[in-house]
Amino acid sequence: MRHPNQEILALHAGGDLGPFARWRTSRHLARCESCREEVAAFDEVRRSLPGLAEVPDLQWNRLAAEIKANIRLGLAAGECVRSADPPLRQSGLIHGGRAVVAFACAMVLVVTGMVLERPLPRAAREEGPMVQNTQYGIEVTAGGETLGLTNNGVQRVTYSLDAQGSMGARYVDPETGYVTINTVYVQ
Amino acid sequence: MSDDIEPGLELLERQNRFVSEHFRRIFVQIYHLVQNVADAQDLTQEAFIKALQHQEQLKDGQKAAQWLSRIATNTAIDFLRRSSRATFSELEDGLESGWETPEQILLRSEHREYLEDGLRLLSPRERAALIMRDVEGLPAEEVAQRLNCSKATVRSHIANGRTKFRRYMEKRKR
Repeated sequence: MRHPNQEILALHAGGDLGPFARWRTSRHLARCESCREEVAAFDEVRRSLPGLAEVPDLQWNRLAAEIKANIRLGLAAGECVRSADPPLRQSGLIHGGRAVVAFACAMVLVVTGMVLERPLPRAAREEGPMVQNTQYGIEVTAGGETLGLTNNGVQRVTYSLDAQGSMGARYVDPETGYVTINTVYVQ
Repeated sequence: MSDDIEPGLELLERQNRFVSEHFRRIFVQIYHLVQNVADAQDLTQEAFIKALQHQEQLKDGQKAAQWLSRIATNTAIDFLRRSSRATFSELEDGLESGWETPEQILLRSEHREYLEDGLRLLSPRERAALIMRDVEGLPAEEVAQRLNCSKATVRSHIANGRTKFRRYMEKRKR
Protein backbone atom coordinates (compact mmCIF):
# COMPACT_ATOMS: atom_id res chain seq x y z
CA MET A 1 0.00 0.00 0.00
CA ARG A 2 1.34 3.41 -0.94
CA HIS A 3 0.95 5.98 1.85
CA PRO A 4 0.38 9.72 1.38
CA ASN A 5 3.38 11.81 2.39
CA GLN A 6 3.60 13.88 5.60
CA GLU A 7 2.72 17.10 3.84
CA ILE A 8 -0.54 15.67 2.53
CA LEU A 9 -1.45 14.29 5.95
CA ALA A 10 -0.60 17.57 7.67
CA LEU A 11 -2.81 19.45 5.24
CA HIS A 12 -5.61 16.90 5.48
CA ALA A 13 -5.72 17.39 9.25
CA GLY A 14 -6.64 21.05 8.75
CA GLY A 15 -8.95 20.55 5.78
CA ASP A 16 -6.50 22.32 3.51
CA LEU A 17 -6.46 19.89 0.61
CA GLY A 18 -8.30 20.35 -2.66
CA PRO A 19 -11.47 18.24 -3.21
CA PHE A 20 -9.81 15.45 -5.18
CA ALA A 21 -6.77 15.10 -2.92
CA ARG A 22 -9.07 15.17 0.11
CA TRP A 23 -11.24 12.38 -1.31
CA ARG A 24 -8.20 10.26 -2.18
CA THR A 25 -6.65 10.76 1.26
CA SER A 26 -9.92 10.01 3.05
CA ARG A 27 -10.21 6.76 1.11
CA HIS A 28 -6.69 5.80 2.12
CA LEU A 29 -7.27 6.72 5.76
CA ALA A 30 -10.37 4.53 5.91
CA ARG A 31 -8.16 1.47 5.55
CA CYS A 32 -4.82 2.59 7.04
CA GLU A 33 -4.51 2.86 10.78
CA SER A 34 -0.94 4.19 10.85
CA CYS A 35 -1.89 7.14 8.61
CA ARG A 36 -4.94 7.80 10.79
CA GLU A 37 -2.59 8.04 13.77
CA GLU A 38 -0.43 10.49 11.83
CA VAL A 39 -3.43 12.67 11.05
CA ALA A 40 -4.51 12.50 14.70
CA ALA A 41 -1.07 13.75 15.75
CA PHE A 42 -1.34 16.70 13.35
CA ASP A 43 -4.81 17.36 14.66
CA GLU A 44 -3.43 17.57 18.18
CA VAL A 45 -1.00 20.24 17.00
CA ARG A 46 -3.88 22.21 15.51
CA ARG A 47 -5.94 21.90 18.68
CA SER A 48 -3.09 23.11 20.88
CA LEU A 49 -2.24 26.23 18.87
CA PRO A 50 -5.30 28.36 19.66
CA GLY A 51 -3.73 28.78 23.11
CA LEU A 52 -1.62 31.44 21.41
CA ALA A 53 -4.65 33.48 20.37
CA GLU A 54 -5.08 34.94 23.81
CA VAL A 55 -4.17 38.60 24.11
CA PRO A 56 -3.35 40.07 27.53
CA ASP A 57 -5.86 42.38 29.17
CA LEU A 58 -4.62 45.76 28.12
CA GLN A 59 -5.71 49.31 28.71
CA TRP A 60 -6.78 49.75 25.12
CA ASN A 61 -7.59 53.46 25.38
CA ARG A 62 -4.22 54.29 26.81
CA LEU A 63 -2.49 52.10 24.28
CA ALA A 64 -4.43 53.74 21.43
CA ALA A 65 -3.51 57.21 22.67
CA GLU A 66 0.18 56.27 22.92
CA ILE A 67 0.20 54.65 19.52
CA LYS A 68 -1.54 57.62 17.89
CA ALA A 69 0.91 60.08 19.45
CA ASN A 70 3.89 58.01 18.32
CA ILE A 71 2.47 57.64 14.82
CA ARG A 72 2.12 61.43 14.57
CA LEU A 73 5.68 61.81 15.80
CA GLY A 74 6.92 59.21 13.33
CA LEU A 75 5.16 60.91 10.44
CA ALA A 76 6.56 64.29 11.45
CA ALA A 77 10.06 62.83 11.76
CA GLY A 78 9.68 61.20 8.34
CA GLU A 79 8.68 64.53 6.79
CA CYS A 80 11.56 66.22 8.52
CA VAL A 81 14.10 63.72 7.22
CA ARG A 82 12.67 63.97 3.71
CA SER A 83 12.82 67.75 3.67
CA ALA A 84 16.38 67.73 5.06
CA ASP A 85 17.63 65.35 2.42
CA PRO A 86 16.30 66.40 -0.99
CA PRO A 87 16.80 64.00 -3.87
CA LEU A 88 19.81 64.69 -6.09
CA ARG A 89 17.73 65.62 -9.09
CA GLN A 90 16.31 68.57 -7.18
CA SER A 91 19.56 69.87 -5.83
CA GLY A 92 20.76 71.45 -9.07
CA LEU A 93 19.35 74.40 -10.92
CA ILE A 94 16.01 75.85 -10.01
CA HIS A 95 13.73 75.91 -13.02
CA GLY A 96 12.25 79.21 -14.20
CA GLY A 97 8.65 78.63 -13.09
CA ARG A 98 9.68 77.45 -9.66
CA ALA A 99 12.00 80.42 -9.26
CA VAL A 100 9.15 82.83 -9.99
CA VAL A 101 6.89 81.08 -7.45
CA ALA A 102 9.68 81.01 -4.87
CA PHE A 103 10.40 84.70 -5.42
CA ALA A 104 6.71 85.60 -5.10
CA CYS A 105 6.43 83.59 -1.87
CA ALA A 106 9.53 85.23 -0.48
CA MET A 107 8.11 88.67 -1.24
CA VAL A 108 4.82 87.80 0.45
CA LEU A 109 6.74 86.61 3.50
CA VAL A 110 8.85 89.79 3.63
CA VAL A 111 5.79 92.05 3.33
CA THR A 112 3.91 90.00 5.94
CA GLY A 113 6.94 90.15 8.19
CA MET A 114 7.18 93.92 7.85
CA VAL A 115 3.48 94.35 8.63
CA LEU A 116 3.68 92.06 11.65
CA GLU A 117 6.85 93.72 12.95
CA ARG A 118 5.22 97.16 13.16
CA PRO A 119 5.22 98.27 16.79
CA LEU A 120 1.91 97.59 18.44
CA PRO A 121 0.40 99.59 21.25
CA ARG A 122 2.02 98.56 24.54
CA ALA A 123 -1.25 97.38 26.04
CA ALA A 124 -1.80 94.91 23.18
CA ARG A 125 1.72 93.49 23.51
CA GLU A 126 1.42 92.82 27.20
CA GLU A 127 -1.83 90.92 27.07
CA GLY A 128 -0.20 87.52 27.43
CA PRO A 129 2.84 85.42 26.65
CA MET A 130 4.11 85.45 23.10
CA VAL A 131 5.83 82.64 21.23
CA GLN A 132 7.96 83.31 18.16
CA ASN A 133 10.74 81.80 16.11
CA THR A 134 14.10 83.51 15.84
CA GLN A 135 17.33 82.57 14.13
CA TYR A 136 18.30 80.61 17.26
CA GLY A 137 15.08 78.73 17.91
CA ILE A 138 11.74 79.25 19.60
CA GLU A 139 11.37 82.05 22.11
CA VAL A 140 8.62 82.64 24.64
CA THR A 141 8.27 86.16 25.97
CA ALA A 142 6.12 86.97 28.98
CA GLY A 143 6.19 89.87 31.42
CA GLY A 144 9.33 91.32 29.86
CA GLU A 145 11.27 88.08 30.27
CA THR A 146 12.27 85.70 27.50
CA LEU A 147 12.88 81.97 27.50
CA GLY A 148 14.50 80.41 24.46
CA LEU A 149 14.69 76.85 23.13
CA THR A 150 17.64 76.79 20.72
CA ASN A 151 18.08 74.61 17.66
CA ASN A 152 21.72 73.76 18.46
CA GLY A 153 22.93 75.91 15.59
CA VAL A 154 21.11 73.86 12.96
CA GLN A 155 20.19 76.14 10.07
CA ARG A 156 17.61 74.08 8.22
CA VAL A 157 14.62 74.06 10.54
CA THR A 158 10.96 73.59 9.77
CA TYR A 159 8.64 75.65 11.95
CA SER A 160 4.95 75.06 12.37
CA LEU A 161 2.31 77.10 14.08
CA ASP A 162 -0.91 75.87 15.62
CA ALA A 163 -4.17 77.77 16.01
CA GLN A 164 -4.13 76.94 19.75
CA GLY A 165 -0.92 78.91 20.17
CA SER A 166 1.74 76.21 20.06
CA MET A 167 4.85 76.45 17.92
CA GLY A 168 6.92 73.52 16.70
CA ALA A 169 10.44 73.26 15.33
CA ARG A 170 11.68 70.15 13.52
CA TYR A 171 15.20 69.55 12.31
CA VAL A 172 17.80 66.93 11.56
CA ASP A 173 21.21 67.35 13.10
CA PRO A 174 23.58 67.28 10.08
CA GLU A 175 26.37 65.65 12.12
CA THR A 176 24.54 62.97 14.05
CA GLY A 177 21.45 62.54 11.88
CA TYR A 178 19.24 62.75 14.98
CA VAL A 179 15.77 64.11 14.42
CA THR A 180 14.59 66.68 16.96
CA ILE A 181 11.01 67.84 17.28
CA ASN A 182 10.33 70.65 19.75
CA THR A 183 6.84 71.86 20.46
CA VAL A 184 6.20 74.81 22.76
CA TYR A 185 2.69 75.34 24.10
CA VAL A 186 1.70 78.74 25.42
CA GLN A 187 -1.04 78.93 27.98
CA MET B 1 15.31 78.13 7.57
CA SER B 2 12.10 77.28 5.91
CA ASP B 3 8.55 77.82 6.95
CA ASP B 4 6.19 74.96 6.54
CA ILE B 5 2.50 74.52 7.04
CA GLU B 6 1.37 71.89 9.51
CA PRO B 7 -0.81 69.20 7.89
CA GLY B 8 -4.39 70.39 7.85
CA LEU B 9 -6.75 69.49 10.62
CA GLU B 10 -8.81 67.53 8.16
CA LEU B 11 -5.84 65.35 7.25
CA LEU B 12 -5.00 64.80 10.92
CA GLU B 13 -8.57 63.84 11.64
CA ARG B 14 -8.63 61.44 8.72
CA GLN B 15 -5.40 59.84 9.91
CA ASN B 16 -6.75 59.59 13.45
CA ARG B 17 -9.93 57.96 12.22
CA PHE B 18 -7.96 55.50 10.12
CA VAL B 19 -5.81 54.54 13.12
CA SER B 20 -8.84 54.28 15.45
CA GLU B 21 -10.72 52.06 13.02
CA HIS B 22 -7.94 49.55 12.53
CA PHE B 23 -5.60 49.85 15.49
CA ARG B 24 -6.98 47.08 17.68
CA ARG B 25 -7.26 44.55 14.86
CA ILE B 26 -3.74 45.30 13.63
CA PHE B 27 -2.30 45.18 17.14
CA VAL B 28 -3.85 41.76 17.79
CA GLN B 29 -2.73 40.48 14.40
CA ILE B 30 0.86 41.54 15.08
CA TYR B 31 0.72 40.33 18.68
CA HIS B 32 -0.22 36.86 17.48
CA LEU B 33 2.92 36.80 15.36
CA VAL B 34 5.42 38.24 17.83
CA GLN B 35 3.72 37.21 21.11
CA ASN B 36 5.03 40.24 22.95
CA VAL B 37 3.12 43.40 23.89
CA ALA B 38 5.99 45.88 23.66
CA ASP B 39 7.14 44.60 20.27
CA ALA B 40 3.55 44.46 19.04
CA GLN B 41 3.08 48.11 20.03
CA ASP B 42 6.25 49.23 18.24
CA LEU B 43 5.40 47.23 15.14
CA THR B 44 1.80 48.48 15.08
CA GLN B 45 3.12 52.03 15.06
CA GLU B 46 5.63 51.16 12.37
CA ALA B 47 2.95 49.56 10.21
CA PHE B 48 0.63 52.57 10.48
CA ILE B 49 3.45 55.00 9.73
CA LYS B 50 4.37 53.01 6.62
CA ALA B 51 0.74 52.88 5.54
CA LEU B 52 0.10 56.59 6.09
CA GLN B 53 3.32 57.55 4.33
CA HIS B 54 2.27 55.57 1.27
CA GLN B 55 -1.45 56.28 1.21
CA GLU B 56 -1.24 57.16 -2.45
CA GLN B 57 -0.51 53.48 -3.22
CA LEU B 58 -3.98 52.57 -2.06
CA LYS B 59 -6.20 52.84 -5.12
CA ASP B 60 -9.33 51.26 -3.69
CA GLY B 61 -10.35 52.65 -0.30
CA GLN B 62 -12.51 49.61 0.39
CA LYS B 63 -9.44 47.42 0.41
CA ALA B 64 -7.73 49.54 3.07
CA ALA B 65 -8.15 46.88 5.76
CA GLN B 66 -6.63 44.17 3.59
CA TRP B 67 -3.82 46.44 2.45
CA LEU B 68 -3.04 47.45 6.03
CA SER B 69 -3.09 43.80 7.16
CA ARG B 70 -0.52 42.98 4.51
CA ILE B 71 1.73 45.83 5.63
CA ALA B 72 1.35 44.69 9.25
CA THR B 73 2.20 41.09 8.39
CA ASN B 74 5.28 42.13 6.41
CA THR B 75 6.40 44.43 9.20
CA ALA B 76 6.09 41.62 11.76
CA ILE B 77 7.84 39.08 9.51
CA ASP B 78 10.70 41.52 8.88
CA PHE B 79 11.01 41.99 12.61
CA LEU B 80 11.09 38.23 13.23
CA ARG B 81 13.74 37.84 10.56
CA ARG B 82 15.83 40.65 12.01
CA SER B 83 15.62 39.53 15.56
CA SER B 84 15.28 35.78 14.94
CA ARG B 85 14.21 35.65 18.51
CA ALA B 86 11.20 36.79 20.40
CA THR B 87 10.65 37.45 24.03
CA PHE B 88 7.56 35.93 25.37
CA SER B 89 5.30 35.40 28.31
CA GLU B 90 4.26 38.62 29.83
CA LEU B 91 2.49 37.58 32.95
CA GLU B 92 3.13 41.00 34.41
CA ASP B 93 1.19 42.61 31.59
CA GLY B 94 -2.08 41.44 32.96
CA LEU B 95 -2.60 37.94 31.65
CA GLU B 96 -3.93 37.02 35.02
CA SER B 97 -7.65 37.33 35.44
CA GLY B 98 -9.19 38.02 38.80
CA TRP B 99 -10.85 34.63 39.18
CA GLU B 100 -7.76 32.49 38.50
CA THR B 101 -5.75 30.88 41.23
CA PRO B 102 -1.95 31.32 41.19
CA GLU B 103 -1.64 27.63 40.20
CA GLN B 104 -3.90 28.15 37.20
CA ILE B 105 -1.98 31.23 36.15
CA LEU B 106 1.28 29.32 36.45
CA LEU B 107 -0.07 26.39 34.42
CA ARG B 108 -1.36 28.66 31.71
CA SER B 109 1.90 30.54 31.59
CA GLU B 110 3.84 27.28 31.30
CA HIS B 111 1.58 26.07 28.51
CA ARG B 112 2.06 29.32 26.66
CA GLU B 113 5.83 29.13 27.02
CA TYR B 114 5.70 25.58 25.73
CA LEU B 115 3.82 26.69 22.61
CA GLU B 116 6.06 29.70 22.09
CA ASP B 117 9.17 27.52 22.27
CA GLY B 118 7.70 25.45 19.47
CA LEU B 119 7.02 28.53 17.36
CA ARG B 120 10.67 29.52 17.56
CA LEU B 121 11.57 26.48 15.48
CA LEU B 122 9.59 27.77 12.51
CA SER B 123 10.79 30.23 9.89
CA PRO B 124 9.05 33.63 10.04
CA ARG B 125 6.83 32.83 7.05
CA GLU B 126 5.95 29.33 8.31
CA ARG B 127 5.12 30.82 11.65
CA ALA B 128 2.97 33.56 10.10
CA ALA B 129 1.12 31.08 7.88
CA LEU B 130 0.50 28.65 10.73
CA ILE B 131 -0.74 31.34 13.10
CA MET B 132 -3.05 32.89 10.54
CA ARG B 133 -4.47 29.50 9.60
CA ASP B 134 -4.61 27.60 12.90
CA VAL B 135 -4.79 30.41 15.46
CA GLU B 136 -6.77 33.08 13.64
CA GLY B 137 -8.66 30.57 11.50
CA LEU B 138 -8.21 32.47 8.24
CA PRO B 139 -8.80 30.56 4.99
CA ALA B 140 -5.67 29.71 3.00
CA GLU B 141 -6.65 32.22 0.27
CA GLU B 142 -6.56 35.09 2.73
CA VAL B 143 -3.30 33.89 4.24
CA ALA B 144 -1.85 33.87 0.71
CA GLN B 145 -3.06 37.43 0.15
CA ARG B 146 -1.53 38.67 3.38
CA LEU B 147 1.76 36.95 2.70
CA ASN B 148 1.66 38.04 -0.93
CA CYS B 149 2.36 34.57 -2.27
CA SER B 150 0.50 31.73 -3.97
CA LYS B 151 -1.92 29.38 -2.24
CA ALA B 152 0.42 26.47 -3.01
CA THR B 153 3.26 28.23 -1.19
CA VAL B 154 1.00 28.91 1.77
CA ARG B 155 -0.01 25.25 1.91
CA SER B 156 3.63 24.28 1.91
CA HIS B 157 4.36 26.72 4.77
CA ILE B 158 1.38 25.40 6.74
CA ALA B 159 2.37 21.77 6.22
CA ASN B 160 5.99 22.47 7.20
CA GLY B 161 4.84 24.41 10.24
CA ARG B 162 2.54 21.63 11.44
CA THR B 163 5.21 18.99 10.81
CA LYS B 164 7.91 20.88 12.73
CA PHE B 165 5.52 21.65 15.55
CA ARG B 166 4.45 18.04 15.75
CA ARG B 167 8.07 16.87 16.00
CA TYR B 168 8.65 19.43 18.72
CA MET B 169 5.61 18.23 20.72
CA GLU B 170 6.68 14.61 20.41
CA LYS B 171 10.19 15.46 21.52
CA ARG B 172 8.91 17.34 24.55
CA LYS B 173 6.67 14.43 25.53
CA ARG B 174 9.60 12.07 25.76
